[in-house]
Amino acid sequence: MDVQFEGEHLLPGQLGQFFIVLSFGTALLAAISYYFATVKDTLDDSWRKIARAATWLNSIAVIGIGACLFYIIYNHLFEYHYAYSHSSRSLPVYYIISSFWEGQEGSFWLWMFWQVVLANILIWKAKSWENSVMTTVMLSQVFLASMLLGVEIMGTRIGSSPFILLRNAVEGPIFSRPDYLSLIDDGNGLNPLLQNYWMVIHPPTLFLGFASMIVPFAYAIGGLWEKRFKEWPTTALPWALFAVMILGAGIIMGSFWAYEALNFGGFWAWDPVENASIIPWLTLIAAVHVILAYRHSGHSYFTATFLTLISFILVLYASFLTRSGILGETSVHSFTDLGMFGHLITYIMVFTVLATVLIVVRWKQMPITQKDEETYSREFWLFIGALVLSVACIQVLATTSIPVFNAAFGTKIAPPADEIQHYNKWQVPFFVVVALISGFAQFLKYRNTDSSKFYKTVGIAVLIAVVVTALFVYASGVYTNFMYIVLTFAGIFSIVCNGRILIDSLKGKWKLAGSSVAHIGFGLLLIGALVAAATNDVISVNNTGVGFGEEFAKDNNPRENIMLYENEPVQMDKYMVTYMGDSTEGPNTYYRVNYKVVENGKVKEEFDLYPNAQQNAKMRSIVASPDTRHYLLHDIYTHVSSVPLKEEQAEEHHEHEGHSEEEDYDSPTTHQVNPGDTVNYRNGIIVVKGVNMNASIEKIPLAKGDVAVGLDLEVVDKGGRKFKAQPLYLIKNGNQFDFPKNVDEAGLRFRFSKIDPQNNKLELMVFQKPQAEKKWIVLKAIKFPYINLFWGGTIIMVIGFLLSIFRRNKEIKTV
Amino acid sequence: MKKSSIIGIIIIAIAIGVIISTYADSSTYGTFSDAQETETELHVVGTLQKEKELIYNPKKDANYFAFYMLDNNGKECKVVFRGTKPQDFERSEQIVLTGKMVGSEFQASKILMKCPSKYNKDQVEIQEVSPTSV
Repeated sequence: MDVQFEGEHLLPGQLGQFFIVLSFGTALLAAISYYFATVKDTLDDSWRKIARAATWLNSIAVIGIGACLFYIIYNHLFEYHYAYSHSSRSLPVYYIISSFWEGQEGSFWLWMFWQVVLANILIWKAKSWENSVMTTVMLSQVFLASMLLGVEIMGTRIGSSPFILLRNAVEGPIFSRPDYLSLIDDGNGLNPLLQNYWMVIHPPTLFLGFASMIVPFAYAIGGLWEKRFKEWPTTALPWALFAVMILGAGIIMGSFWAYEALNFGGFWAWDPVENASIIPWLTLIAAVHVILAYRHSGHSYFTATFLTLISFILVLYASFLTRSGILGETSVHSFTDLGMFGHLITYIMVFTVLATVLIVVRWKQMPITQKDEETYSREFWLFIGALVLSVACIQVLATTSIPVFNAAFGTKIAPPADEIQHYNKWQVPFFVVVALISGFAQFLKYRNTDSSKFYKTVGIAVLIAVVVTALFVYASGVYTNFMYIVLTFAGIFSIVCNGRILIDSLKGKWKLAGSSVAHIGFGLLLIGALVAAATNDVISVNNTGVGFGEEFAKDNNPRENIMLYENEPVQMDKYMVTYMGDSTEGPNTYYRVNYKVVENGKVKEEFDLYPNAQQNAKMRSIVASPDTRHYLLHDIYTHVSSVPLKEEQAEEHHEHEGHSEEEDYDSPTTHQVNPGDTVNYRNGIIVVKGVNMNASIEKIPLAKGDVAVGLDLEVVDKGGRKFKAQPLYLIKNGNQFDFPKNVDEAGLRFRFSKIDPQNNKLELMVFQKPQAEKKWIVLKAIKFPYINLFWGGTIIMVIGFLLSIFRRNKEIKTV
Repeated sequence: MKKSSIIGIIIIAIAIGVIISTYADSSTYGTFSDAQETETELHVVGTLQKEKELIYNPKKDANYFAFYMLDNNGKECKVVFRGTKPQDFERSEQIVLTGKMVGSEFQASKILMKCPSKYNKDQVEIQEVSPTSV
């Protein structure tokens, strides 16, 4: 029987689903039409007209999908699975944007969106290349749209739609109730780690980078297809530079987000997800360099084509790694499988087969030169540099692909135990070679160079670099490792050589500035990454911890977390660190940590850091985010690694209410006293002043033979405050009673519990409130030296790419 | 032969060397029994023994975290980790440890856990609905 569900808004979802199907259909139509527009040599351009119309319709459909999805999330329509899983009512509007692409479907949409934006630019600008290039771009759009379809064809579900209803996505007894929606008042919310402003701009940038990788690929395919072998590298070059610039910026933004918002203590962790995105970036950089070599000398044609093609295939491979769930237990932040495993493989296979078939078919016609390169020529070293970069990629790829290898061959190989060390061991030598080549190749001319002149200039550069390296290595303290010194030298050498070129370009050869700026940025980035990664120093070393047994103490590992009690300063490195208290703002608790540098009794420097943690009552866990003090030459990075859970304390307190009052106190101490005696307690003294024989008790009239005695007490606490109290003792009708007195300000409770006439003693029971739990946090602090070189180098590199794009764009003379 | 072809061959040789050494560098997945027999670090996959308590007392030592884990053969072993208790540890469904056996304790240098992430789990948590309301 059909249940009529109440309160559902089905229209936006149906509309969205319609747009998905429309985008799939129009992308398919556009790809087919562009195909025929390319192969048919008709004079009228009717195929192209159809293809353009289809592409424009596709643009509308893609925007429509986005609008419907945004409407659903923005209006908290939790009948939709996507809104339920990725947002909540309390989410601020700007984070609704992040929740939009938290899920796989949203990020596919983002990719689609950029791809169709690029498609429109190509229609506008590509001129004679439009037909062939757009065939490939729209074919890719077909695949992306199919990822969102979410329809069942012959028992298998194709893609995953963001418009699926919660009741269809999830099994649950409540969904048989027509009013189930009234029981769901809020969504799951956005992962707190993603609630960071970097997560609003990092994914769009990254996906623009991924999406733009298809353009050089499509030009290469088009060039081979239409036999415009010599033309495509020139036209594709600005696009390749654009893709490299955007993807590079996107990757580094991710790295900056990790550094600023995550607490894994660094900016690069060689996580498979990070690796997957950096591999295509490096191969496309290599491609850009060999395209230049080909343009100027006619050498390296095949390498240029191959690297351009493989870069996009590696983008697809990267999305396969992150989205298929295959990384499983090797990565913390890959997506879970949405049943797209086979689908993603098909996507990769189609584009790989396409590229391979074209290369094989056109092999004989490709302008591959048989001449030998001169050793003293720039093209030769561009080629070598590109190869070294490729081998570096192969190494990263090999280790990252271990889970794929396991899945394919049924093996059970685990990734290296110390991954970071494993990658660094390989990547440092590769990048030494790359940096050296990027330096001296600047002094080589295309085709041939006067070798004696070359050695002279390089010699000067080496000398300068050696001196600078020596000074820098000494200052930064990286001299402990030989390879680090070599890498520092290589980076500085590259900066020196490119600096020389930059100075020349300032004298008038403006067009050379782009590459030298980019290379200087690259050199700085290398040095910054090396120094920050190699010499970062955990300063929160704790030597006071109590050992947990022999075995544990034997291992002389530094203990990297430090315990801070409120208002108790602890010396840490050169800082006197004090936990000053916390404040709560929304879901975040900010812990105020005061850093002070005291020299000769004078405070030389003082600042507060506010690392925060989101407490999750239901999960009894915290999600910590760091706070960082930035200096010009180093950063002090701080995060809490453990804090007392607030809800837990509240609960405990709650439990105790309603029980006997004395349970709120520590177990009492009992004293036999006489007037004039003094009793010590934790926070001061209690003086027994005297006995009041004429005590009266409210509402209890005293009959004959009844005795009411009061004990006059005076409390003096350590702060010098005085309080008076008079607990009572009563004998009424031969029964003993006592009436306690509380001194709440002092946290005390007194009972006058007995009179012992034989020994002439009075019995006093003293109850004390348990000592207030001292607030504490466990803190980790790391010093990152020279990290600004890393960020600064990145920015300079991006500027260099931008300058190069302008230069290379001017060189295109296509109709 | 062209110079670039020769260099190309050399580079390919290096690449093959790199791949082989990658697998030489790689670790293995094993059980606690395997860990007892070997000196080297390895990966152990298993689940948290939820019946035994987690030992983490930051007031005593903020860098000592210990727990009991069952490996895939069901063998129980005490695991010691020099650091703070990872967030969400109690809810972990699966744990991957990297480390080695020291005496009768497994000393983990890295802990990777899989949680039923609140954020991509396909289950609805609605406490206020009782099953009888169906």
